[in-house]
Amino acid sequence: MPQFTDEEIKAKVREGYVVESPEEMTDGYRKALVVQLTVQADTELMSAPAYWMAARHAPSANTQVSAHAIIQDELAHANIAYRLLEDLGESKEHLVYGRQPHEFKHPYGFDQPLENWAELVVANGFFDRAGITLLSDVYQNTSYGPLKRALVKVDMEETFHLRHGEVWMRRLAKAGGEARDMVQRAVDWMFPMTIEWFGLPDDLKRHSGQLEYRLKGLTNDELRQVWMQSTVPLCAQLGLEVPAHWDDEKQEFVLDYPFPCRYDAGVKHWLFQEGQITWDEVFERWKARGPMNEAYVESIQRSRGTVERWLDSRAAA
Amino acid sequence: MREFVYEVFARKDRGEPLTHIGYVDALDDETARVYAWKTYDEQNWFEMCVVRRSAIVPVNRTDGPFAANRRGTP
Ligand SMILES: [Fe+2]
Ligand SMILES: [Fe+2]
Repeated sequence: MPQFTDEEIKAKVREGYVVESPEEMTDGYRKALVVQLTVQADTELMSAPAYWMAARHAPSANTQVSAHAIIQDELAHANIAYRLLEDLGESKEHLVYGRQPHEFKHPYGFDQPLENWAELVVANGFFDRAGITLLSDVYQNTSYGPLKRALVKVDMEETFHLRHGEVWMRRLAKAGGEARDMVQRAVDWMFPMTIEWFGLPDDLKRHSGQLEYRLKGLTNDELRQVWMQSTVPLCAQLGLEVPAHWDDEKQEFVLDYPFPCRYDAGVKHWLFQEGQITWDEVFERWKARGPMNEAYVESIQRSRGTVERWLDSRAAA
Repeated sequence: MREFVYEVFARKDRGEPLTHIGYVDALDDETARVYAWKTYDEQNWFEMCVVRRSAIVPVNRTDGPFAANRRGTP
């Protein structure tokens, strides 16, 4: 089996070489892939308790079922990503059950409480759209074969989550009155939340290796634009206001607020009037984690030890 | 809690090939069947089966996930 240097593997994947097993990877490649997959797995995992919190506000038996079907999908996506990590020598057991809440690598958006049906469907419309944006880029460009194949299922199901979100956003927005106001309020905090999710702008971005190893194809700013290309027109069509517009001269979407900026998580409000802040301040907020971080992680880890003790005592008997 | 890796194979319809679609970790064959069926529910599969990874015998490769099953043999 070939043993590559870092420069060789970068050149190979640029020409379309597909990596199939960990033995072919350089240390740098493996590390970059582990970081990418950990973020992916943690994001899928933490979306489950967030959506679960909101699912109790489902307005009917049918919507209960569809909300829980989405949660089930997310847990399966997480499981698949952790399984891939295990093949790279990481321990799923440790990643899921051995880490402290603040050690998970999911975006800050999934540390927030989703407190009503409108917030759940806007999360499906915005957050799942962000998920699709990121993962379809990975699907189209990744040099790691097992990940590409695993994403076929994920993509199919994410498309369903997104459709669920958009159909319900439309239904609530068209109903007008309180229903529309609820959606608009959700959009007001979730739009900038998703914009921030895509991370550092390209001109500040340090080398992560993900592009060089061909683990993804587009840059953060390009991905942010792709997300806005679908989201901004959708909201316009539904009569929902978002703080971004198409700029003819620049031929891209531009934000109508200082980016990045402060967020008051307690009242779900972005402090546009306080102006632009540094990314260091954003990283500090992310690192401190959001209001639901501990409760969400606890709900995942809760019963593990107990059941394990039952099973082990059975095995010992 | 000792889990095993199972490879999941499925066939979309009559006449289609059986393809590898993913993996599950499970305590035994019975839980693997349930996990596979519940996890990979994105299609109405005509046929699905699971194989414990340790039961797969690699023929030509000396790397990859199945290689460990043959390591030490010439
Ligand atoms: Fe997902
Ligand atoms: Fe999703």
